[in-house]
Amino acid sequence: MKGRTVHPIWIALAALLAALLLSMLVGSVSLSLVDMARVVAARLSGGEIGADLRVADTILFSLRLPRTALVALTGSALAVSGAAYQGLFRNPLADPYLIGVASGAGLGAVIVLSLRWGYDVAGLLAVPLASFSGAVLTVLMVVSLARVGRSLPVTNLLLAGVAVNSFAGALTSFLLLRSTGELRRAIAWLMGGSSMGGWQPVLAVLPYWLIGLGILMTMGHALNVMQFGDEQAQQLGLPVETTRWIIIGVSSLATAAAVSFTGIIGFVGLIVPHLLRLLVGGDYRRLLPLSLLGGAAFLLLADVLARIVMTPQELPVGIITALTGTPFFLWILRRSRSLPYWS
Amino acid sequence: MLEVLHLTVRYGAKPVLKDVSFRLADGEILAVIGPNGAGKSTLVRALSGILPPECGSIRYDGRDLCALSVQERARLIAVVPQARSLPAGFTAWQVVSLGRTPYLNWLGQLSPADEELIWEAMRRTDTQHLAHRLVGELSGGELQRLLLARAMVQATPVMLLDEPTTHLDLQYQIGLLNQMVEVVRQPIAGNGNGKAHQPAALVVLHDLYLVARYADRVLLLVDGCVQAYGTSAEVLRPQLLSEAFGIPLEVMRSPNGKYPLVVPLMA
Amino acid sequence: MKRQSVLLSVLLLLALLVSACTSAATPAATPTASPIVMTDGLGRTVTLAQPAQRVVSLAPSNTEILFAVGAGSQVVGRDNFSNYPPEALELPGLGDFMGFSIEQIVALNPDLVLLAEIHPPELVKSLEDAGLTVYYLKNPLAMEEMYPMLITVGEERPTVFYEIDGTDPSKPWTTGSGTFIDTLLEMAKAENVGRAMDSQYGQMSIEALLAADPDFILLGDANFGVTPEQVAARPGWGELTAVKEGRVLPFNDDLASRPGPRLVDGLEELARLLHGVTLP
Repeated sequence: MKGRTVHPIWIALAALLAALLLSMLVGSVSLSLVDMARVVAARLSGGEIGADLRVADTILFSLRLPRTALVALTGSALAVSGAAYQGLFRNPLADPYLIGVASGAGLGAVIVLSLRWGYDVAGLLAVPLASFSGAVLTVLMVVSLARVGRSLPVTNLLLAGVAVNSFAGALTSFLLLRSTGELRRAIAWLMGGSSMGGWQPVLAVLPYWLIGLGILMTMGHALNVMQFGDEQAQQLGLPVETTRWIIIGVSSLATAAAVSFTGIIGFVGLIVPHLLRLLVGGDYRRLLPLSLLGGAAFLLLADVLARIVMTPQELPVGIITALTGTPFFLWILRRSRSLPYWS
Repeated sequence: MLEVLHLTVRYGAKPVLKDVSFRLADGEILAVIGPNGAGKSTLVRALSGILPPECGSIRYDGRDLCALSVQERARLIAVVPQARSLPAGFTAWQVVSLGRTPYLNWLGQLSPADEELIWEAMRRTDTQHLAHRLVGELSGGELQRLLLARAMVQATPVMLLDEPTTHLDLQYQIGLLNQMVEVVRQPIAGNGNGKAHQPAALVVLHDLYLVARYADRVLLLVDGCVQAYGTSAEVLRPQLLSEAFGIPLEVMRSPNGKYPLVVPLMA
Repeated sequence: MKRQSVLLSVLLLLALLVSACTSAATPAATPTASPIVMTDGLGRTVTLAQPAQRVVSLAPSNTEILFAVGAGSQVVGRDNFSNYPPEALELPGLGDFMGFSIEQIVALNPDLVLLAEIHPPELVKSLEDAGLTVYYLKNPLAMEEMYPMLITVGEERPTVFYEIDGTDPSKPWTTGSGTFIDTLLEMAKAENVGRAMDSQYGQMSIEALLAADPDFILLGDANFGVTPEQVAARPGWGELTAVKEGRVLPFNDDLASRPGPRLVDGLEELARLLHGVTLP
């Protein structure tokens, strides 16, 4: 059993590298490999980028590289959060948006968009800032509705999550109806897809990603123990309530940060952990790091598809994940009837 | 020695355990019996820290268990629950290994000593051949033995068994209780704290004919109160039991004359 | 084998990442004339070293106007919905409100990207981050503000006399600088000879007109029944080159005298008349 832990990680790493490369190489403009190599060489040697290479240089380093980074960060955050929530709630339908991150982020973004902020540094930051705040505030609301003293019962969380999600969704729809001017922009944001380019989003997401996923990576054993139910987990010496608070806290931070810049991208947090479970089993000590790699690879591939499938138009990546995610999910459903991952 | 004094536990407004007191010495097996709703499972949950007591104290060797952290408590008390709805994707070995959780770091890494302990526990419960099988494929009896092995690996001075013989065929009931006795008499190699004393076991039993055979002392709970507490001879009395269970019961001698047998009186 | 290819990919990625951190040395641009500095509809300061030669227009209204003012040859890319004039359809479509391909825009190497009010500020930022110069035209009627960005120096501009009222043929009424008609003429890349006057609306003497000898005479009073034949018959007017070469043209005054949606029609008409650009 120990020998097996080596191989899946290497496979996932290879898949991620392939996806990263693909994301850099593919786009609505096809660059020749020669040009790309020349640009990389020119940069590395600190030399001048000739006029003929300027386009390739801009496309590679100002457009594709930061986008690749952001998509990878988002995909990994969503997949790891999804896996952690599936373990925490002991429910195969759990995803990172269960307790309000998506509905809160959407509401925050739409509020700001309907205020028609002006174009300046503050104005551009307003949308991600508002969606991050919205996400965090919504999770806090769900948690405070659900808690009983110091404990956080799972059923309460689920119910409060459903209630708050539909409330926030209703508010969002109402605002969309009212503000016809920014409707297009708001809908595009809600469908997912990185509308902001450059390195700022990557740098903004990175600290939350590092903290959130860093802590979540250590939660594998705790999640394993929690599969036996709150009672047995506590009798085995696991501080169940503390663990629950921590997982919800860091997971919400990482997901909120990612979603604030890329919009709501569904299915990654739901599908990727299930796929990986089929391949390597339900041990969360393996599932979490593999979800990190697999989630990034999955979303990168979806993003590549979003860029090339209707070129030069770019589809919001949330549409791609939903379209490709659904058949995957049905296939897993059929197969999993013979597999005992959920009793 | 586990000392329970005046333990009172409520579910909301309703008291489920009232003023329960008893002692459990190292190496002793205490059977808890009583009709449904008497509070037997509640007692297990209160002792293991799931339900906070309203008043009363639970002490081991003088230490107040309620003042301990979850992890410290888990090093003193292990629970063998009923083998119901265990997560199907775990292997038998993984289930037993989780018993080491109170001693592991946050990442759950097992040392070679831990692994040796796990294998020995599985050998003693006759489950080592199931090590790589998935929980979903195992029978109730096999799962119950796994849970016993898990508690063994937790290497605690006190072990609580909550109706471990329910849903088991007779031969497995006997087998499990035999193994429980063996664990108590011959403790598994410790958790490295140097203590080599015999663990104590509190076992909730439904089946009255097994009680006398396995228990040193018996606690009779009715409606949350201690109705009787003493040796099997003292507690297993027809009048007492008939009143407690609401049907006429007779106590007879086993054919070899060693143990009292409780049987319902057929009209 | 698998390890080797993984190693290779890691190396390649590292190379990409490291080279991303190194700044690229771009050759310094040598400024020729004084740069054009403007403020766009979002309050941003936009600077061009010289009038834009390669323009990308991402809104149909802007595309139409660009072609109407004769800058159509400078447009190198459009949005998917820009379908007028038909010449625009020959240009590559770069996306629409659902999303633009920034890569393809960059690949066209434009000097200037024109946006309109339908575009979100995020698009401005994305284009800027890709190193492009962006101008956000909030109000299409303010087109004349950015006109300096489009005209190229040294092009031949026809001289035009716009007659508002020719009741007194020795002193016809025309417009000076700063009026709407004057602006339109400017946008249509024509020289308004009336600018020689100090006032915005005034009478120019026939002598001055003969001296200026405009290439075109536009009859803004055509709606009132003035025809080129009548003009040709006026004393002294027959000496004007425009009259001799039949370039006295009636013009629908309605199209030019008030701001409104028909402004573009006015421009089109002017373009057609002055430059022979046929816009069906």
